[in-house]
Amino acid sequence: MSIVPKETIEVTAQSIGITNLSPEAALMLAPDVEYRVREIMQEAIKSMRHSKRTTLTASDVDGALNLRSLEPTYGFASGGPFRFRKAVGHQDLFYTDDREVDFKDVIGAPLPKAPLDTELVCHWLAIEGVQPAIPENAPLEVIRAPADNKIYEQKDGPLIDVRPPVKHVLSRELQLYFQKIAEITMSKSSPALFKEALVSLASDSGLHPLVPYFTNFIADEVSRGLNDFQILFNLMHVVRSLLQNPHIHIEPYLHQLMPSVVTCLVSRKLGNRFADNHWELRDFTAKLVSLICKRFGNTYHTLQSRLSKTLGNALLDPKKALTQHYGAIQGLTALGHNVVRLLILSNLEPYLSLLEPELDCEKQKNQMKSYEAWRVYGALLRAAGLCIHDRLKVFPNLPSPSPSLLHKGKGKIISAETRKRKLSADSSQNQLPHKRLMTTTDGLRPQDHTGPAPMHVDKPMGKKGNESESRHQNEKERGKGRVITMKAILGQIWKDDLDSGRLLVKLHQLYDDRILPFIPSTEMSVFL
Amino acid sequence: MDPEQVDEFVMGYLKKKGFNNGTRFSSIDYHNDPDLTKLIRSFSQSENDPSRYREGYSKLRSWGDNSLDLYKHELLRVIYPVFIHCYINLVGKGHTQEARAFFNSFRKDHEMVHLRDLQKLEGVLAPSHLQEMEFARSLRQSKFNIKICQCSYDLLLQYLHRTESTLMLGIINERINFQVYSGQPNSASDDIESVTISGSFHETADHVNQKEIHWGLLEDRLQKTGGLLSDSEKGQGESKADSKKRSSEIGKQGSSVKKLKKDKAGNATAKVARQETSMALSTTPRVKPELAMPVMSTDVEESILEDLRNRVQLSSLAMPSVSFYTFVNTHNGLNSSSISHDGSLVAGGFSDSSIKVWDMAKIGQAGSCALQDENGGRNYTLLLGHSGPVYSATFSPPGDYVLSSSADTTIRLWSTKLNANLVCYKGHNHTVWDAQFSPFGHYFASFSHDRTARIWTMDRIHPLRMMAGHLSDVDCVQWHPNCNYIATGSSDKTVRLWDVQTGECVRIFVGHRSMVLSLAMSPDGRYMASGDEDGTIMMWELSTARCITPLIGHNSCVWTLSYSGEGSLLASGSADCTVKLWDVSSSTKLTKAEEKNGNSNRLRSLRTFPTKSTPVHALRFSRRNLLFAAGPTSKPAS
Repeated sequence: MSIVPKETIEVTAQSIGITNLSPEAALMLAPDVEYRVREIMQEAIKSMRHSKRTTLTASDVDGALNLRSLEPTYGFASGGPFRFRKAVGHQDLFYTDDREVDFKDVIGAPLPKAPLDTELVCHWLAIEGVQPAIPENAPLEVIRAPADNKIYEQKDGPLIDVRPPVKHVLSRELQLYFQKIAEITMSKSSPALFKEALVSLASDSGLHPLVPYFTNFIADEVSRGLNDFQILFNLMHVVRSLLQNPHIHIEPYLHQLMPSVVTCLVSRKLGNRFADNHWELRDFTAKLVSLICKRFGNTYHTLQSRLSKTLGNALLDPKKALTQHYGAIQGLTALGHNVVRLLILSNLEPYLSLLEPELDCEKQKNQMKSYEAWRVYGALLRAAGLCIHDRLKVFPNLPSPSPSLLHKGKGKIISAETRKRKLSADSSQNQLPHKRLMTTTDGLRPQDHTGPAPMHVDKPMGKKGNESESRHQNEKERGKGRVITMKAILGQIWKDDLDSGRLLVKLHQLYDDRILPFIPSTEMSVFL
Repeated sequence: MDPEQVDEFVMGYLKKKGFNNGTRFSSIDYHNDPDLTKLIRSFSQSENDPSRYREGYSKLRSWGDNSLDLYKHELLRVIYPVFIHCYINLVGKGHTQEARAFFNSFRKDHEMVHLRDLQKLEGVLAPSHLQEMEFARSLRQSKFNIKICQCSYDLLLQYLHRTESTLMLGIINERINFQVYSGQPNSASDDIESVTISGSFHETADHVNQKEIHWGLLEDRLQKTGGLLSDSEKGQGESKADSKKRSSEIGKQGSSVKKLKKDKAGNATAKVARQETSMALSTTPRVKPELAMPVMSTDVEESILEDLRNRVQLSSLAMPSVSFYTFVNTHNGLNSSSISHDGSLVAGGFSDSSIKVWDMAKIGQAGSCALQDENGGRNYTLLLGHSGPVYSATFSPPGDYVLSSSADTTIRLWSTKLNANLVCYKGHNHTVWDAQFSPFGHYFASFSHDRTARIWTMDRIHPLRMMAGHLSDVDCVQWHPNCNYIATGSSDKTVRLWDVQTGECVRIFVGHRSMVLSLAMSPDGRYMASGDEDGTIMMWELSTARCITPLIGHNSCVWTLSYSGEGSLLASGSADCTVKLWDVSSSTKLTKAEEKNGNSNRLRSLRTFPTKSTPVHALRFSRRNLLFAAGPTSKPAS
């Protein structure tokens, strides 16, 4: 009776060429095999202890075999865990996956990188009994409640020395670290260095004592540096790194941090140069906001409601600038679909009617203004689109659509994307009226010959220099046809899901076809 | 059982015992005596039925469990030896299957305390294994000693007679040696010594521990610790200045006013502590050295005196600073590390048979580039020569030699000045686990997988003494401060103290529950600390061979222990990635009080310094009481 089954003995015997092993002999051998294996493992554990390790390695087993003057095991020293595979057809039979390697491949392969050489680094683990909060040390519980100390004192009598919690003590290293980080953040010269600093902020332990200083620093600089786009962007990166650091408890400082973040989202003016891409900053900050809400939404209940209230106010105030509206929309989008439905979609119709005159190029002479309006329009479209996409995703998958239709759907998405890209890229040029025409019809740009849109195949291709008149006509017809089919399908959807169907209809009314790219391709193909 | 069967059995038994003319006995009328019939029946059953063991044991166990709380813990002590011997008997008789089933159904009862032994025994499945295995053999050859009070003893006997479980009675009679004492049963807490496993060996241990031992310090070596006596007044002023300087160097926080105040307080306590230590020193006896001691050069002596003068007094109120050396990119290959007495040199023994020595003083300086160039881009000295994993590399007290031991059964002596191998000592038959210099250099002790410890001098290639007696591998070794004794810790869970001059074992310390991994001697030579695989540290008084108190706090292997210069603090480093400081002075002081109120006190854990996933392999208090620690970071290299 042994934990080594008889079959194992038989298999092993076969593998070394003994075919006539009787079952009785195998049965007799099994307990002895178990005993020997245990013996060797005990020796291996001894070897492990003397190597001052707590995990057993193949070399320990070799060491144990060596002590008994036995042949060591070969081929296991390369390191890395073994992968055992189940033998097909057998329940409890496993084998190591040992691939055959071609010599040619081995010789031809480039040499692996040499492992790093051993080094010795030195740090203070404790100074007169107190552990300094430096990155080399394990993160401490920095905030020690004084109540704990009192209990400690009472329990152990007056013998124990009670040191008051370390207050306002910032080690020299930390001070230097803070200064350096602040310097790098404020200087625009070395992006590589700044990247390194961000990595350090996001991963180093022992930075906790600096958090209040960092929040203060960020708040100060944001209020001071509203004109300097680059600094604002750097600061937001710093915020993100701090949020990412697992050793920092940032919750107590969140209330100080949030105003700066929201400022970077909905401020009227960020940066003073025309070239500053403040849209990008707003997008980045919106992502930051969503990160914060995801992480601290549970512990900090009022966070999300307060944020959405602030942003909602910013959006619904017609006196605010369009850039502010844009930031608010992005922020709300980042907060999730429920917020979007509640705050954006419900106000979409009146808002769009408000936006309409701005969009119209004839009425709005200021090109800058018009560009901004288009940005806002795009953001709104995205918000609504993502929302409806989310709704439609929950639909059960309908019977497989024909491939050609699927193709069509894809083409549409691609073309829509190109349109969007173009729109942001060259909208300040005087192509604007022309493009607007395109977008209001179908969004397919005939000039876009290089675009991968397969739509062109089944479309009467206008030659270069064709009159826009005829094209316009063409498009219109197509658009009409589609709208009809669309209506029918929407009716069906409406049956399926009253709510989202209605929403879709409404969105469709407001946006025409431009909402379509956001509808997942499979569902889209169903519509078509 | 009907009368014919009884007849048959009796005849068979008599025949077996050599009474061939069994008919003569048939005249004895045992049929009419019911008691006798019953007894015979039980004998016949026990002879051929393995399930009797199970039955008898489980009855005894449940009886023990249900007994009065007052006697319970004493009665339960009996269970373990019975369990072990039931199993051994079953295996011995070839009932492999029953033995395995028996073992598995009851092993949970004993796993808490005797896990290692159970793991060892578990594999034993055939009578031949019993013969082969050291542990099983020693179990069969010896008796368990169990201290038990009169009342419990009576209860046990009563139970055994009442239930007529002759099998259990037989085992208990054969394997257990009761030491009955009158009075109330002891409290459950101090039962560490009440069950000792290997009886025959324990008797010798008792005998051995009666021997006289001179644990005092050497008389002509006053400067080592006694230097304080003469220099204490002069040293006071200097140490004050020095500690101020140190604090300005080290201290990075706090207002200077606060700092000064603390310094003053520290000095005040230091004064008290100093008086205490000088008191303690004056009471420690002086002994003559038994070995011829090497002569120390005057400048070395002076530097030691200088260090002693500048020593920071440590106590529970004045904590040491800890400097940590972290090995990075060791690729799991670091087997051992050690730090020289002044902390400037760090050596590591690697499993690729290399030894690497770092000079921390040079690394800090600007000239490190030049150093790198001459070593081929490395900032350490590479010592190659061994042909197997290096299990230890230790420094001689002045730091000019490194002694290394390896799996290739050799010990090598290296010079840190020449960066070359000087001597290769051959003598051990197996892997040499460790080698340690004596406190004054010149002599060193080594121990090995071949179960011996050997004493060598640097100038001879053959050992001077050989200490044999451990039942298993010797795992660690430590010199007594007066150089007359060495202590060895072993996998057989004991620590032994050996007289260097005679090679005799003079003390055996029994009480650890697993392999002993580290040892440290207090600077006054009165106490010894030993750490084991489970994370328990035990403090022993050498003269009585008694455990003062176990220190419980670590939850993994204790790799290293170190006493502070004046012996008031004990530092321990463990695989659980912490360095712990223990207050030893208060407890040793309280031992007198303890005698009075009979209350065993625990040593206090003062501080725990967690490292960042770095197991602590080596600890060393410098002569100025700065604590150095070293270990490899176990995080995978990024």
